[in-house]
Amino acid sequence: MPIQYYIAFAATLFCIGVVGVLTRRNAIIVFMCIELMLNAVNLLLVAFSKMHHAAALAGGGKNVTTGVEGQLFVFFIMVVAAAEVSVGLAIIVMMYRNVHSVDVNFLNRLKN
Amino acid sequence: MTEQQLMALLPFMVLAAASIVIILLIAFRQGHTVIQVTGFLLMCLVIFAMWYVRGVLPQTIAPLLIVDGFGALFTGLIVFCVLVVGLFSYIYFEEREENPREYYILIFLSTLGAAILTISRHFMSFFIGLELLSISLYALIAYLRTRNNAIEAGIKYLVLAALTSAFLLFGMALIYMETGSMDFAVIAQRLNAAGKSSALFLTGFGVMMVAVGFKLALVPFHLWAADVYQGAPSPVASFIATVSKVGVFAVFLRFCQELHLQNNSAVMMLISAVAILSMISGNILALRQQNLKRLLAYSSIAHFGYLLVAFLPGNNTGVEAAVFYLTAYAITILAAFGIIILLSPGEKDADSLSMYRGLFWDKPFMAIVLTVALLSLAGIPLTAGFIGKFYVLTAGVEQRAWLPVIVLVITSVIGLYYYLRIISTIFADSPVTIQKERSLNQFFYTASYAALVVLTLLLFGIGVMPAVIIQGIKQFLVIDR
Repeated sequence: MPIQYYIAFAATLFCIGVVGVLTRRNAIIVFMCIELMLNAVNLLLVAFSKMHHAAALAGGGKNVTTGVEGQLFVFFIMVVAAAEVSVGLAIIVMMYRNVHSVDVNFLNRLKN
Repeated sequence: MTEQQLMALLPFMVLAAASIVIILLIAFRQGHTVIQVTGFLLMCLVIFAMWYVRGVLPQTIAPLLIVDGFGALFTGLIVFCVLVVGLFSYIYFEEREENPREYYILIFLSTLGAAILTISRHFMSFFIGLELLSISLYALIAYLRTRNNAIEAGIKYLVLAALTSAFLLFGMALIYMETGSMDFAVIAQRLNAAGKSSALFLTGFGVMMVAVGFKLALVPFHLWAADVYQGAPSPVASFIATVSKVGVFAVFLRFCQELHLQNNSAVMMLISAVAILSMISGNILALRQQNLKRLLAYSSIAHFGYLLVAFLPGNNTGVEAAVFYLTAYAITILAAFGIIILLSPGEKDADSLSMYRGLFWDKPFMAIVLTVALLSLAGIPLTAGFIGKFYVLTAGVEQRAWLPVIVLVITSVIGLYYYLRIISTIFADSPVTIQKERSLNQFFYTASYAALVVLTLLLFGIGVMPAVIIQGIKQFLVIDR
């Protein structure tokens, strides 16, 4: 499958995520949309990693490790995303205790 | 990994160990005072370790890190800021009777993140450092969890930071596709080999700029700054203004230097547009501000616009100017936030401008320190801010970046108006007395006052004799090459 398909698919997922973050008002759904964006990037990285690896193999190398860092990076992103969500959910729970809602529209008290 | 590489990483290991030591102290039920003093000593140990290993620099720890003079300089600045912030935090949290012990773990973790940013030379360490910094910051901003303002600021920062870090990753993925590597040096090599830069690389860089612009609060990604500065506890706000921005700026500077982006006209156009917009809108938004913390947020937007003007040349003068400006700015902003922290009464922060009315007649010492800090932010001669701005202008003029330089001069004049407005409020008659509910151990007040005196003297010292600092910066930067 040509690389363009992967790029188009990942870009679409990423855009859905961005639109979700910008339009949805529920903090939990906003979080899900951010996860969607991160996973779009993961997909992209794995596809590029495979692409570079295939190119190196076609270039005549054996046992080449080209492209392995793309997949390595994906593991780091997954770990960080999990950490981010756990801290984020804790803050959302605090918000629920204070205002009894997870609607981000309630967050408008900070102004001049 | 050789012994020398381990040696070079020693300061960072001490920094990582600091948060573990604090966790152990909490496990053994030590009080706030013990934790505070231990944290202070550990940060001193980091600076000592940095001085101790200076002989083995520069060391490249392939492929992720490089410990060189540039990294050591920025790490030193970061640790210095943390020392001061930590000192001020004691009084702030003790007066609020919150349990502040986990606060120090988070502070040291995010300092570690910023320090890793300064020595990273690979997308992976860039990302890990950035996330270590920001995940700790989410918790720090929402630390006073019964206050609605803190939670609101925390969620705003959290959503936007997570959103922009996804953009950062998307940009990295595009650059990875183009060059097949995540190592800054290898990326530079491949781009040079390809001749001119491709559209894909430019797109990737532009998408990465979203995240960098967010962290540095540059226009058009600045909307969070005022809310977060206002809602976060004052020590955390000063931490964001100094440590987080210094770390991100360091890695951005290293990335652009390594890739020789100053030769890329499209990238330079993008950065100068961001710089001009930041200078203009930061200063204009600050004009009618009645809240001191929000005002400092807007002024920081403008200041990072000025800093980007120094960044534009991309040569050694530019780097020196940027480092000098950051140092002066960090000292100034720490002094200003120190006053806000010390004046804050128990329940809320002293952020409304009306609370500063006639401060001079009530607490002359604090009024003078705040005045000096504001004069330095405005760039009045004899203060560090003036030399910093002068240096930035020189770097800009050398490179013939006329438009940003002209905007810098004009917006500085606009900036003068709102800094002077605060100063005139401080010296107005009919003072408002801020009552403190309870007073603490005298020792920590003395220590904080001493820190303020040192910061003020540094501001004057750098302003009167900049050559000493500039020589020091040059010596450190030479270790690079």
